[in-house]
Amino acid sequence: MIKFSHVNKFYGDYPALVDIDAEVKRGEVVVVCGPSGSGKSTLIRTVNRLEEIQSGELFFDGRNVHAKMSGTNLNRLRSHIGFVFQNFNLFPHLSVLDNITLSPIRINGVGRKDARDKAMALLERVGLTSKALAYPAQLSGGQQQRVAIARALAMEPPAMLFDEPTSALDPEMVGEVLTVMRSLANDGMTMMCVTHEMGFARDVADCVWFMDAGQIIETAEPAKFFRKPEHPRAQRFLSDLRGH
Amino acid sequence: MAYAVFQIVSDNWLLLLVGQYPNGPLGGIAATLLLSLLGIGLAFPFSVLVALARLSSWRVLRWPATGLVYTMRGIPLLMIIFWVYFLVPLAIGQTVPGFVTMLCTLVIYEAVFLSEVVRAGIKALPKGQMDAARALGHSHLGAMRFVILPQALYNMLPSIVSQFVSTIQETTLGYVINVPELTFAANQINNQLLTRPFEVFFILAVIYFSVCWSLTQLANRLERRIAAKRAGGLAAMPKQMTARQAPAAIEPPAREASP
Repeated sequence: MIKFSHVNKFYGDYPALVDIDAEVKRGEVVVVCGPSGSGKSTLIRTVNRLEEIQSGELFFDGRNVHAKMSGTNLNRLRSHIGFVFQNFNLFPHLSVLDNITLSPIRINGVGRKDARDKAMALLERVGLTSKALAYPAQLSGGQQQRVAIARALAMEPPAMLFDEPTSALDPEMVGEVLTVMRSLANDGMTMMCVTHEMGFARDVADCVWFMDAGQIIETAEPAKFFRKPEHPRAQRFLSDLRGH
Repeated sequence: MAYAVFQIVSDNWLLLLVGQYPNGPLGGIAATLLLSLLGIGLAFPFSVLVALARLSSWRVLRWPATGLVYTMRGIPLLMIIFWVYFLVPLAIGQTVPGFVTMLCTLVIYEAVFLSEVVRAGIKALPKGQMDAARALGHSHLGAMRFVILPQALYNMLPSIVSQFVSTIQETTLGYVINVPELTFAANQINNQLLTRPFEVFFILAVIYFSVCWSLTQLANRLERRIAAKRAGGLAAMPKQMTARQAPAAIEPPAREASP
């Protein structure tokens, strides 16, 4: 579904991603973890080309994302990739409902009524039907992130990308967002999640990618990764996580 | 002196209000306000285009727009009025009424200044807004139209009103090319009376001041309203996007639209 093939990215001389060669298969949930600055966010942002790469290839659903293509084609490709941001990035001037229906109406040409029905169904799924007419600033962080997930789902993407979806949340709000993500995973959604939520990774992920200095230095099943990581850097990372 | 002022106003109020109209061209405060309104109204769409061009990643758009802005900002308005006044009739081969000359000049000049306001409004939005719109599949222009500009222009309303106040003051320069606006009317009165320049121009100052002051008050009120809305409602600023600051327990506002 998402296939990195020898992907390299530089910021000037600084190597941000080094020879990334990995694949997220259809229906799989992959958790990307690693110390800050290791390139996790950069990696996930290359999938929908919010970041450019310098060499290598990246396929999403069989399509070469970083090939030369017209703006229209890139926009269409992006509309098939669900993306959830750390800072939610809801549109503050639109109600929750309008946040969700904007893109289906404007990009996919869905009728207003259909888009609203769909949005209400999605809000039910994330448990926020009562907030349909509220504005983002009136919601808690956890609620905003759940709306952001519903907004991404409204485009009916075959895969969802999560870029540290719970890092900007107060601790008591993390659970509600993870619950939504778990239910997505249980429904068979292909997911790539940058996250430090090790409980989520252990329970839900099919595979953990551990990154350091722009490289994926360890790929393992979560059970194995959390019990006995091979790479010393991963061992240190996990013991730091557990240490406090 | 108070009596003299009252006398002048009561003798000439119609001239100050609408100029020679309906027996001649519209003048006075009416012309000043019409000129300012049309000036800023017509300048506005251009200013959005110039701002978008200045922020464009295409040099063909960015460079000319930037050049235009730097040139216009570096030239006094009076100079531009003269350029339009003397060159446009030569270029199109017929005379142009002063009102139209002044309007064209104001539109060019205000478009440039407003474009900087619009550009600042766009740049002040968090980068995540554009990222989110693009990630959903909107084109650059689509993202601007549905996500960025509605927020940027709303946030910039007070600055736009301020720019309108400047425009009213700039219309006085129309006097030098005989545009029949408020200053022109006051000067006509002064030329009739000959002995009362202080009183006449005192009246003129008071009129300009009251119009501009009311508008400034309006801008301040808008600013307060926007600030209040940001705190609890419509347009959130980047800082409020974090969970810590968003109020959790506010009910959604009652609205007629039902899902």
